[in-house]
Amino acid sequence: MIGATGLVALVALSVLGAPDDCPEDAATLASAADALVARAGARPDAAALERARRLYRRARVLSPQPSFSLRAADLACAAGDEEECGDLLSEAAEMSPAALSSGDRLLLAHRAEARRAWREAISQYQALRTAAADAGLSSWAQERIRRLEVEAEAQAIPAPAAVPPPEARLVLAEARRALAAGDLSKARERIGIARRLSPGYPEAALVLAALETREGRVPEAIQAYREALSTDPARFEALVGLANLLWDEPDRSAKEEALSLTDRALAARPDAASLQKTSALRSAEWGDAPKALARIDAYRRRASPEEKRATEALRESLARRVDALLSGATPPEEPSAPELSSPAVDEWKVAQAYVRRADPASLAAALGHLREAERIDPTFAPAPELAGAVHEKRGELSLAQKAYERAIAADPTRAAAYEHLAFLLVRQPGKEADADEAWRRAEQAGSSEALFALAESAARKGRRGEALALYRRYFGESPGGVHAEEVSRSIEKLESGRRTSLGVVAVAAAALLVIGSVVGYRRFGGRTFEEWIREHPARAREARPIVGRLRHEVVKHGGLLLADAAKRLSEPDPEVRRWTAELLLSRLYESEESKRDGLIPQSYETFMRLKALARADGYRLNLEHKDPLFSPIARAGMALAPLSGGLTWLSMDPEAVPERIVRGVIGRLERAAALFRSVSGANISRVIDEASSTPVNLSDLQDVLARVCAEKRLGSPPTLEWRGPQMAVRVDRADWETIWRNLFANALDSAGAPPVSEVRLGLFSELLRDPITGAAIAQVVLADNVSTPLTAEMIRGRGADRGWGVIADLVRRHDGLADVGPAPAPGYVKGIVIEVPAVEPERPE
Amino acid sequence: MREPRTILVIEDGTEYTEAFRNLVAADAAASIELVRAADFEEARNTLADRTVDAVFLDVVFDRIAPEKLAGDWEGLIRRFGGDRRRAERHLAENQGFYLLNELASLWPERIPVVIAYDFSAEPERLAALRRRSPQLSGLADGTPISAVLESLLTKLTSGDTRGGPP
Repeated sequence: MIGATGLVALVALSVLGAPDDCPEDAATLASAADALVARAGARPDAAALERARRLYRRARVLSPQPSFSLRAADLACAAGDEEECGDLLSEAAEMSPAALSSGDRLLLAHRAEARRAWREAISQYQALRTAAADAGLSSWAQERIRRLEVEAEAQAIPAPAAVPPPEARLVLAEARRALAAGDLSKARERIGIARRLSPGYPEAALVLAALETREGRVPEAIQAYREALSTDPARFEALVGLANLLWDEPDRSAKEEALSLTDRALAARPDAASLQKTSALRSAEWGDAPKALARIDAYRRRASPEEKRATEALRESLARRVDALLSGATPPEEPSAPELSSPAVDEWKVAQAYVRRADPASLAAALGHLREAERIDPTFAPAPELAGAVHEKRGELSLAQKAYERAIAADPTRAAAYEHLAFLLVRQPGKEADADEAWRRAEQAGSSEALFALAESAARKGRRGEALALYRRYFGESPGGVHAEEVSRSIEKLESGRRTSLGVVAVAAAALLVIGSVVGYRRFGGRTFEEWIREHPARAREARPIVGRLRHEVVKHGGLLLADAAKRLSEPDPEVRRWTAELLLSRLYESEESKRDGLIPQSYETFMRLKALARADGYRLNLEHKDPLFSPIARAGMALAPLSGGLTWLSMDPEAVPERIVRGVIGRLERAAALFRSVSGANISRVIDEASSTPVNLSDLQDVLARVCAEKRLGSPPTLEWRGPQMAVRVDRADWETIWRNLFANALDSAGAPPVSEVRLGLFSELLRDPITGAAIAQVVLADNVSTPLTAEMIRGRGADRGWGVIADLVRRHDGLADVGPAPAPGYVKGIVIEVPAVEPERPE
Repeated sequence: MREPRTILVIEDGTEYTEAFRNLVAADAAASIELVRAADFEEARNTLADRTVDAVFLDVVFDRIAPEKLAGDWEGLIRRFGGDRRRAERHLAENQGFYLLNELASLWPERIPVVIAYDFSAEPERLAALRRRSPQLSGLADGTPISAVLESLLTKLTSGDTRGGPP
């Protein structure tokens, strides 16, 4: 602070007269100033202070000295000019730090705080703390320093980017679309608009970086990435993108920065597998084997078996190098790492400068320098890579492709070269597969752009699962990437599609299950005709005429009709086709003219009638699907049912019917004909016969007779004589036994008085033929020696005895005949004739 | 050109006649003349009026009036215990056999006769019927109409089977 001596000096200066009159001598000027102030007294006026300050300014100019600065600071403070006071104190401190008192330091520190110049304030407080003899002052200064350190660090952290206005976002979205579509000029224009609308817009900087990268303008791309990072230092994609570009730069510092950026990116996303691998490769190339080993191990922990195999050799090599380092031995020889700098760099830089000018002459000149760079260092990949970009600008696509291929040959790990090549190939029709391959290699080299491109390609080709996996990888590695929004939408869409697909699959599976159950139930459920009729042979009597009708009207007519109809329809004559179609229409479907249902409705009706019969027994017949005898008929009906349209068309305008339709009709007719041929009506009848027939033999009837005698308490049954062949009747066993129980009972009842032992019963069987139809008839005559009169009327008439009535009714129901005839043999009085349909014998009579 | 052979088709509908007419190959169709009779009376009149070379008989006649069904009505009604409807049904379902029985005497024994019945499981039945109609054959299920005609024509050409009114 200003001391009493100073004030005296000021007063003295004021007494010395005008400073302008003073000689050009610093010390004299200072003395004059001091005297002037001294003359002014304890409280010099403003004019005196001003004059003294001017004198010291001149003295400081003539001879800068800490003492002059300090004096001048005192005068400035006295004049209330704290700003100049501080400046002068700072000046003095710079010249002689020790010259400042604690008070001066404190003043400077406060001034720096007021200016939010935290570093300067911290510096003043540190000087104060160092110089302070008082421990309390030192501690206070230290606390002040800690607080200001935080302030300083906070100041270094950039403020979050302002939310860009909607119009900027819309324009940037257009830029992205244009970039994705390859319309680079439009993309650049839109990016420019977005950046003007929202300065410092990090997304716009990232898109710009992507655009510059695609156009081969590496420095501009680097600048754009830096801009993005300046606004958003943790921006993963910017870190990765910038690292990739810098790693490809020839100078060492760029590679160091690339490694640092890669580490920052990995710190942000340690789960980014491809980045782990990239980091490992770069660290290995840089010579940092331990770090490379740690990274490759981290990568391999999450890698697929194939990826592990691919990195096995690298891992072993790194492990050997680390072992050697730890043991102090000489590291084993490894392939020499590429030079971090190249003699071709200068030529490349000149070429870059020409490329920025972008005029045709400059581009040509750039190519010249790049050729020279390649000649100087064929392994310097950036040179052919930039040459490729120049050729692209000139529209020389094949030359561009060759240049990129040279770049890849020079450095197969260079992602940018693959990306350039892939972008170039994508634009050329027919080279999609080559482009995909280039993208795959770019992806292996760590390109997130390649992930996006491969995902897009997979999505276009319908490989949804692969696309989804690639999109997810991109999103994982570049969550704020250029394509992040697009990828997010694609993931949502694919996942939605997948969910829908899964839903559809679930619904389809459920539907299939239901359908399967229905089909299974229809196919395997229910009973066959044979199963039913064997368990309910009494139904044979009702089923037989239905089956007979089916055989005659459906099977027979189907066979007669269909094969020949198919042949006739194959003839090109329209009239033949017309007649045939008309005939088929009348035979297959309903026909008023023929007064008969068509083959198909008759088939359906007979099936329904059989099913109704079975249903009455609690059975569900599965004739259509399970029954080997009937299912061909059902399938033939199904083959024929859809033909009515085509046949109607053929019957009306055969020439207009396309041959394809005709062939379809013929095919179905042939199929139905074949099915009808496979049906054996005789087998169906045989099944009924076998199920419902009853053998006519002595032992069975003897048993029936014995039971009757037992019921009537007649003792031992009379001997039953049998004459004639054994056969089988088309009467179910129950009915057959009922008939004979009544016959025997009536015979024994009629015997009356005679003891049973005197009753003589004989059975005389004969297989007859119906004289008209030729059908087999089983005639069984029960002969007895009972003289009680019996007539046919007594058996068949209305007033028949209950027993005879049952017999007559049962026989009639089986299309049989009950009659009374003469004794068939001596020793008998009469014969009761029973004629019922017989099962056709297997061997000739 | 050889004179067409006459085939008498006895059926209550027109299915067989039309099938013969429309479904057999043109050359085969050209070699035959089809005469249809819907019942016993028509058939008898036809046989009285003209010569036939072959006969095709349907079996089931359920589309003609019951009184036109040939057969021993009284005997059948008696057989079925007075049940006329049952007798009628029996006659309709077996009318082909009754027609064969009634008409066989009206055509020469040697002409081929086909009845639309499958005897494949009942050979003895066919044998029994052949005692009265030696040239009778059945119609196996699934046989196309062209095969029926071919069979008839083969029999016709294998010998002089032509016959006229008795």
